[in-house]
Amino acid sequence: MQIVINGTACECETGETILTIARRNGIFIPTMCHHDKYPGEGACRLCVVEITENGRSKVVASCIYPVTHEITVETDTEKLQRYRRLLIAFMQRRAPNSEAIAKLMEEYEVPDYSLRSLLTGKCILCGLCVRACKKIGISAISMVKRGTGKKVSTPYDEPSPVCIGCGACARVCPTGAILVTETEDSRIIWGREFPKKRHAAAGKKEE
Amino acid sequence: MNQEELTAIVDAYPAKMEYALAMLQDMQHRFGCVPREGITAAASRLSCPESHLYSMVTFYKALSLTPKGKHIIKVCNGTACHIRKSIDLAEDICETLSIRPGGTTADGFFSLELVNCVGACALAPVMLIDNTYYGNLTRKKLKKILASYLEEKP
Repeated sequence: MQIVINGTACECETGETILTIARRNGIFIPTMCHHDKYPGEGACRLCVVEITENGRSKVVASCIYPVTHEITVETDTEKLQRYRRLLIAFMQRRAPNSEAIAKLMEEYEVPDYSLRSLLTGKCILCGLCVRACKKIGISAISMVKRGTGKKVSTPYDEPSPVCIGCGACARVCPTGAILVTETEDSRIIWGREFPKKRHAAAGKKEE
Repeated sequence: MNQEELTAIVDAYPAKMEYALAMLQDMQHRFGCVPREGITAAASRLSCPESHLYSMVTFYKALSLTPKGKHIIKVCNGTACHIRKSIDLAEDICETLSIRPGGTTADGFFSLELVNCVGACALAPVMLIDNTYYGNLTRKKLKKILASYLEEKP
C-alpha cells in the first residue's frame, strides 16, 4: 500500500501508524509523549497531521492513527502550526517549570495567549512513564487522583516495594519531571533509595 | 475489618480485571472505605499491580481511601438545585457539623459531599442522606432533618 505524505509517496503496511511511516521516510513530525519502545500514548497531540480521504480532510494524532487505506497526509500546514502553538502554550501552563517546554515555546514562536494557571512543576501528565513502567512489567507508578489533583505517583505516595529503581520512567519523560538523585553509591527515585552494587559483586550467583 | 471478610469479597467474583471495580465497591460498602489490605487482596486475586487499583480508588468519587461517616449527606449542586441556592444549604451543613465538602466529622458520624445532580430536579433543592431523598429543602427544614439524625447519636 502507499500513502502520500507532504507530496512524497511512502510504502506502508495496513495498520502502521502515520508517524511510523513518516519517520521511516525521514519526514519530521514533532512529538512529546511518543517513544518508539512504548508507542500508542496519544496524549500530547503535538504529532497532529491533516489527512485527506474522499475529498474530506481532518486532523488526527499521527502516533495512534493506523493507516487502513490510501490517504494523503500533510504534516506542517498553517492550521497544524496554529494547533501546535496552542498545544504548547497549554502544556507550558500545565508545566511552567519544564525547560523542555520552554525550549519548544521559543522554537515554535508561541505567542502570549494570556492563559492563566496556578500550577507549578514539570509534568504534563502524558503518562509515558506509567506506560514504560508497565511495559517493563513492574507498574510501580500510576496516574492517581483526577481533575486538578491528578498526578503520577506510587500508591499512597510512599516508596514503592515493587520499584526496581531502573529509572526508565525518568529516562522516557519528555519534560524532565521525574526526580532522580544519583550519588556515588545510591540512586533515589520515587522516594526510595537503591544502593548501587559494585562490579565485583555483579556476575556472582547467589544460591 | 478482617482478612476473612476481605477474602470473601474478592473471592465472590471471577479473577478477571473487569470485576475489579465491583470488588472495590463491595469493600467501600462494607467498610466505608477501601482499606490498604483490600487493595492488596484484590491485586493478588486479580494478579494485577497494586498501583493500578490505587489509581482506580483515587479516580472514582464513590471510592475512598479514608473511612466515610456513618451517614453520608449528598447535597445536590446540579443546575436546578444550584439556582435554588443549594450552596446556602451546604454552607449551613458545614457550619452546623463543622466539616467541609468531602470531609467527615471528627466523630465519624457524618460525611458531606457536594454532588452534581441526583436526577431529582423537580425536588430542587435536594439532598440525600444515605438513601433517603429530602426535597424542596429550606434552611428551616434542613435544621430539623439534621437534628433528627443527631438525636440518634449515642
